[in-house]
Amino acid sequence: MSNVTTHKKVRATGRGVLLLIFSLGFLFPFIWMLLVSLRNRVDILDPGNIFAPLTLINYETLFAAGDIFPYFINSAIIAVVNTVFSLVVGTFAAYGFARYNWKKREDRAFFILSQRFLPAMAVVIPFFLMATFVHLLDTVWLLAICYTLFNVPFTVWMMRGFIEDIPFELEEAAFVDGCNRMQTLRQVVFPLVLPGMVATAIFCIINSWNEFVFANFLSVVHAKTVPTSVMMYLSVSGVKWGEMTATGVLAAIPVLVFAVSVQKHMIRGMTFGAVKG
Amino acid sequence: MFSVKGFLQRNGHLKYVAPVMCLMMVLSIIPTIFLIVASFTNYQLGWDFSRAKFVGIDNYIRLFTGADTAFWHSVLISVAFMVVATAIELALGFWIATLLNNSESKLKPLAVGIMILPLAMTPSIAAQVWKLIFNSEYGLLNYILQNTFGFSVTWLGQDMAFWSILLVDLWQFTPFVALILYAGLRSMPAEPYEAAAIDGATSWQMFRFLTIPMLSKLIYLALLLRAVDALKLFDTAFVLTQGGPGNATEFLSLHVFRLANAQNGLVGRASAVAMVLLVIVMVVSRFLIKRQRRAAEVML
Repeated sequence: MSNVTTHKKVRATGRGVLLLIFSLGFLFPFIWMLLVSLRNRVDILDPGNIFAPLTLINYETLFAAGDIFPYFINSAIIAVVNTVFSLVVGTFAAYGFARYNWKKREDRAFFILSQRFLPAMAVVIPFFLMATFVHLLDTVWLLAICYTLFNVPFTVWMMRGFIEDIPFELEEAAFVDGCNRMQTLRQVVFPLVLPGMVATAIFCIINSWNEFVFANFLSVVHAKTVPTSVMMYLSVSGVKWGEMTATGVLAAIPVLVFAVSVQKHMIRGMTFGAVKG
Repeated sequence: MFSVKGFLQRNGHLKYVAPVMCLMMVLSIIPTIFLIVASFTNYQLGWDFSRAKFVGIDNYIRLFTGADTAFWHSVLISVAFMVVATAIELALGFWIATLLNNSESKLKPLAVGIMILPLAMTPSIAAQVWKLIFNSEYGLLNYILQNTFGFSVTWLGQDMAFWSILLVDLWQFTPFVALILYAGLRSMPAEPYEAAAIDGATSWQMFRFLTIPMLSKLIYLALLLRAVDALKLFDTAFVLTQGGPGNATEFLSLHVFRLANAQNGLVGRASAVAMVLLVIVMVVSRFLIKRQRRAAEVML
């Protein structure tokens, strides 16, 4: 009997060690980014020097130059505009999908989902040409429009799940009490799905915050976003690793704060609402 | 007699769904038509639209008669990348998910939290950090290799670049698969396993005939999301190698970019390649969506 328990203990320890190794592997690049951002230019080029003195010089340089601020402002504007729009349009559609039944419903839902799979690199050329035509090139508005391509399908699928979680009886009760659809939506459905909407909004913000292909192609000077800032640091004298990683840390902070705040819905967000984990 | 009002009443969903349907049509079908038209022209960047001439299917003939070896190389490595990345991420993700599921450690939430980190990092910036780690002179990987085994590797050189990009992709998205499958494992009922244990099933049989079928919906979902995103891969490869050295890592997206960017500006030819990318992605996603839907229906 004791043999069995030792065997079990060994296996549990083995699992723990394996998980630890994997976790460290996944964690490491982030830690390295943080460490590099806190080092002098000289120390960055000497990775073996683990005890290199930490400094905030990279952040100071970054803030003093101020080149990076427009990137953050653009990213923020695009994320907010796009998210608000996606949420409004998407939630309405989600309600239709959740509460009405028609023959082609699932096909339509999957048509919307399939937009999420469009390769950005394929549609970016026509978007570029069309934007040149209507003089929208290099504006935050253009990027805010482009990002609806993945955020609207995401919102529809996420919010459909959240709405389906609400018992329909609640709405029926409101109908009986003489509410019409719009009143029911406003007074019954909306308050109940609000937490779900907040979670969906946060995922939308993260999605647009990290997007690269559209941002890199459809912006030249005025609409540059944070992910494209990596191009700025590829100077002739070599990559400015310190400032680059400092930007990376600053870019990651809001995302991490958001990610922690939606931890409960993380799996749901990753699977378009398919898993209510 | 047909009346608009009656039609709307019978199709109550329309007023909710129509705006999104219209938006998606405008944002996806119009650009696709534009792309198809552009792929039949010789349009170049910066030209006045009137200067462009229709060249019929010349752009496609160039691709499919085999003269364009760079194109076939791109197709090949893109598909190879999709297959290898998806397979490893699924296998490794499944393994980590089972480890998490079987572990009773109190630190489990921490491990889950850490796994969200690679997903939250901006891919282009993460790739840049990896570029520093891969650096052959002062990168950390080579420093460790040099000091423990006495050799170093040109991570972003001709031979290794593909595998280095793969490594970054594995780092970023294996946790994604692991977390999805872990959520599935956690919500699995215990009864079938108890029944199977009584009937004397081995753990492999339980895995094969209980776990896999019960998880199939999620497995297909992970497969779908990873396969399509691996096919579309752009930012990681662009930051790490820009398609190089030579065209060693010029995935389809990067090939489109190289043709269409400011230096070459061959929008017509790039559009034809983009069409091929679009068709490949559509075929793969259609197939996997169909499979996923069927798996999900069986579950219900």
